[in-house]
Amino acid sequence: MFSLGALAFAAPWMLALAITLPVIWWLLRLLPPAPKLIRFPAIRLLLGLKPEEETPRRLPLWLAILRLLLVSLMIAALAQPLLNPAGDLQGSGPLVVVIDDGWAAAPGWRQRQQHVGNLIDKAERAGRSVAVLTTAPPAIDEQPPARGLMRPADARGLIGAMKPKPWPTDRAALARTLDTAPYGTDATVVWVSDGLDGPAAAQLGERLSAAGALQLLLPEGQVAPIALLPPTVQGGDLVLRAQRPPSDLPRRIGVQASDEQGRAIARMEMEFAAGAAQAQTPFTVPNELRNRVVRLDIERQGGAGSAVLLDERFRRRPVGIVGEPPSEAGTPLLNEVYYLDRALAPFAALSVGDIGPLLEEKLAVVLLPDNAAPSAADRERLAQWIATGGVLVRFAGPRLANGPDDNLIPVRLRAGERALGGAIAWGEPATLAEFSDKSPFAGLAVPDDVQVSQQVLAEPDAQLSDRTWARLSDGTPLVTAERRGEGWLVLFHSSANTTWNNLPLSGLFVEMLQRLIALSRGVAGSTFDQALRPYRVFDGFGRLGDPPVGVRPILPDQAARFAPGPATPPGLYGEEGAQQAFNLGDRVGELAALTGVAGGASLGLIEAQSEIDLVPFVLVAAMVLLLIDIFVALWLRGLLPAATRLRRAPAAVLAVAVFAGLTGLAAPDRAAAQGASQAADDIYLRATLETRLAYVVTGNNEVDRVSRAGLAGLSNVLKQRTSVEPAEPIGVDPDRDELRLFPFIYWPVTAEQPSLSREGVAAVDRFLKQGGIILFDTRDAHLTGGRTGLGSGTRELRRLLAGIEIPPLIAMPREHVIGKSFYLLSDFPGRWAGGALWLEAGDGRVNDGVSSLVIGSNDWAGAWAINSYGDPMLPVAPGGSNQRELAYRFGVNIVMYALTGNYKDDQVHLPKILERLVR
Amino acid sequence: MAAGAALPALLVAADRVALTVIQGVHGRRRVGQGDSFWQFRRYQPGDATSRIDWRQSAKSRAVFVRETEWEAAASVWLWRDASPSMRWSSQPQLTQKAERAELALLALGGLLVNGGERIAQLGTGERPVTGRAVLRRLAATLQIERRHDDTDSPSLPRRMPLPAYGHVVWFSDFLAPLDETETLVRYYAGMGVFGHLVQVLDPAEEELPFTGHVRFSGLEGEGTHLVRRVEAVRTAYAQRLTAQREGLARIAQASGWTLHQHRTDHAPETLLLSLYLAMAQPRRAAAPR
Repeated sequence: MFSLGALAFAAPWMLALAITLPVIWWLLRLLPPAPKLIRFPAIRLLLGLKPEEETPRRLPLWLAILRLLLVSLMIAALAQPLLNPAGDLQGSGPLVVVIDDGWAAAPGWRQRQQHVGNLIDKAERAGRSVAVLTTAPPAIDEQPPARGLMRPADARGLIGAMKPKPWPTDRAALARTLDTAPYGTDATVVWVSDGLDGPAAAQLGERLSAAGALQLLLPEGQVAPIALLPPTVQGGDLVLRAQRPPSDLPRRIGVQASDEQGRAIARMEMEFAAGAAQAQTPFTVPNELRNRVVRLDIERQGGAGSAVLLDERFRRRPVGIVGEPPSEAGTPLLNEVYYLDRALAPFAALSVGDIGPLLEEKLAVVLLPDNAAPSAADRERLAQWIATGGVLVRFAGPRLANGPDDNLIPVRLRAGERALGGAIAWGEPATLAEFSDKSPFAGLAVPDDVQVSQQVLAEPDAQLSDRTWARLSDGTPLVTAERRGEGWLVLFHSSANTTWNNLPLSGLFVEMLQRLIALSRGVAGSTFDQALRPYRVFDGFGRLGDPPVGVRPILPDQAARFAPGPATPPGLYGEEGAQQAFNLGDRVGELAALTGVAGGASLGLIEAQSEIDLVPFVLVAAMVLLLIDIFVALWLRGLLPAATRLRRAPAAVLAVAVFAGLTGLAAPDRAAAQGASQAADDIYLRATLETRLAYVVTGNNEVDRVSRAGLAGLSNVLKQRTSVEPAEPIGVDPDRDELRLFPFIYWPVTAEQPSLSREGVAAVDRFLKQGGIILFDTRDAHLTGGRTGLGSGTRELRRLLAGIEIPPLIAMPREHVIGKSFYLLSDFPGRWAGGALWLEAGDGRVNDGVSSLVIGSNDWAGAWAINSYGDPMLPVAPGGSNQRELAYRFGVNIVMYALTGNYKDDQVHLPKILERLVR
Repeated sequence: MAAGAALPALLVAADRVALTVIQGVHGRRRVGQGDSFWQFRRYQPGDATSRIDWRQSAKSRAVFVRETEWEAAASVWLWRDASPSMRWSSQPQLTQKAERAELALLALGGLLVNGGERIAQLGTGERPVTGRAVLRRLAATLQIERRHDDTDSPSLPRRMPLPAYGHVVWFSDFLAPLDETETLVRYYAGMGVFGHLVQVLDPAEEELPFTGHVRFSGLEGEGTHLVRRVEAVRTAYAQRLTAQREGLARIAQASGWTLHQHRTDHAPETLLLSLYLAMAQPRRAAAPR
């Protein structure tokens, strides 16, 4: 390879031909151009005239330069010029490409592919084999990629089809398998990394170095991975967070929020300070918009790690509190509403008021303090509201304790309250027990200082323990709940202010209320005790799609330990309408930058710049010059204006032909392939753009001609009399052609037709089972006298249908729909009369009772057939125009039968139906 | 039929050309045989009584005789060169020499017929006749000859005996060797025939506008001739052409004939006018042989 800056020649010795240029120049200048040809009548006067000075006529300078340029281009093309040459590979063994194809490789994936493609090009030029290794585990429905050596062309295909995975890499696994890999010790190893360090990076680097010279490629700053973390809730706001491997450079990223339809709703910017690994920004958009956000993406990253799905947990839920707003109350610290308001205001949209107005609003949760005990009518309304999906949270208190005849209570209560501790009591105030796993409060830390001094007690019964979500340390329920319809009824067995307990003062109270509000999405409590099925999962580019077969559901106890991987890719899990998002960003741990590996690998950057083969361009330029030269030559000889005289210049024609041939050579395969598929497409288009009747080509030319003419005649009649407008009929061969494109096939039975191949049998069988109709015509009614089973036609029919599943046949009943699908007919003559018509003896269950087979012997095509003048081709027997008309009517009926099925049979009942409607 | 369609077009064009000429030219202004009235004169003894104009005589005492203008019908044989060298024009927008010759021939024929002369095409052996019908026949013959595309059509008319005092008009480029032309002119002049030579040339033949390296090829099998620089031989060519013309003029003069020059880029009316005037002039005595 010989290189001049960005330009290089793969076959530079060809440039030596350039020494011939001066010779060509000299020849061009020496040889005079061809003379113009002029016809001239007064040539007698010219004969013998010679110009006095005989200076040799020379080629014009510009033309000589043009031709020299042409030759130079040819020589340049022979030398195979390349733009952006990519040097040669080092080493002598195979090229081993290791690609990190985890989530972090998604940004700049095309650059990676380009870079690897260039490497493979080089390996191909050097005649070296290639191995491609990936570090991420393959998707669950994919074969693990071949790790062995392969030809560069195969490797290129493999790289082209490769995609990043939406889970982290597993370098340790690759390092383990490398122990037995057959790459020798002089391979060229290129590790296209994702820029993330990890525990096994050093180990993998070591193994790779053992196979040969290792080059480690790192992504450029613009495509270095960034993981978007699920937003946290601080105060009432979402805070967007992102992390990256620490870098010295500041970096600014945009985050786009989009709704369920994929429309962008808001855009935030956040900035990584120099050296920082984390960035965050508050997500400040109006509540209405915020509730519509389902997805956050880092702009121009396009990977599973840079997308975060927001499930219902991140949406604010409107909450209603029954009671008076605290500002209007005189003693706020006694007011239950005050505590609830303070606890929830940062997280939820709150409304405070009476039950009536509150229920007018669309609320997710209603909090009902004790002193706002509902009236009977209000209870009724609340019960209905709960049944339609609301969550009602009641708090106990003196009123409830004294009047437990309330139906809005999840468990039966004992009358009166229980006091624990206090001046005259034996016991101490109770503390909270740990929340059980089945409770929505599971996982919340229970502070020691929360004490409950008074509570209402539940009557123990079988359901109590199921309905208990929180207990005191002595086992009595503190929070009970009952599912009612779509919603929940929740009771705090203690008060919402500090008179009975100090829970409302603790942070736990806030968290518990949040969990309860989260309940209102209808997912948490109920689905936590059953597995979440994969609903939509990410691919490596951050696109949501149907989960591949084999993706496992997430069990309730795995939710906290969710690890993205082939079996559980990140995405939405759950049912339609109630999903939980499992994101990648918060499951990848701290990111660390990969800066090198032990063992002294050379470092490089991933580059997208690929070399460009200039040969086609140079050749095209040369050809254009050649064309110009041809025209110039013609013009110089005065031959150009008269196009008809071009035939006097066979060289020009030849040159044009050669040019056309050369350009055609460029893609002969494609052209041929296109031609073939074009032909296949053509028959599909022909068959489907218009309705066509079809006949089976039997191989007997005479029969086929009559079939074609017959169907043409029938098509004419259909066009004239019905709304069916069939185009020219088509002949089909069941062995080769697609029968399914036709609604109706006419099949004349001949002895000449060879038996069907296995594919043909399958095609006919499939056609019949899918509701196509074949009219078999044995054409021998004049020989058998209409008695079935006698003629050779029946024998041939049996031979042709051998292997096809034929249901039992019956002679056509009088009232069959074929007799009334268009015309009312009682017999069906064709060219012959009297032959019976046989149909499937269906019971109406298969194919809606429409018979797929119609078998007769009357040679209908013979009766339908018309010649090019529109006259009948063949006589009918016993004869008469009436018989031919009846034959056409039968044809119309059977085509109608094929197109409309049993429609007319249903129509028979129409008068009855109408009669019933009138009544 | 294409010829039938082209024929009236040619005739109409010829008529239009002839009309412009007719407006300026009139009869012989002499007493003679003819139909148009010339003058009345007193009856003189010896005049035939049938010539007395009784109506005029009744107006006065004298007896008048009606005299008509002399309208001697001459016989004119027309001929045009149909050889391939005439079917040529240097540029597509120019008419071919043959077309122009045919147009001039028919226009002249029309003028002559209007003047009562008898015309015929030289070489067909037909007798000269007058009337519009002959024009039509003439045009048809030209058309047929043109369609036959005679490649070996001669550049000069054939020899055939003509009565004395006849006229011939030849349209050609007269590029054939001068001696051939001279013997032919002598032959016809020897029969007492009066002639007019019309040389029709393309402007390119006169100016030789080509440049550079050119291979010329003739249209009648003269072969080819390569000229390395056409501009260098232009003067020599012009001299030769002048010599050819002067030779023609000499030949014509020697026999008392006239020579007319015409270029296809000039208007045909000019040619026709000069031709007509030349024919209308009283006849000079041809050199009797």
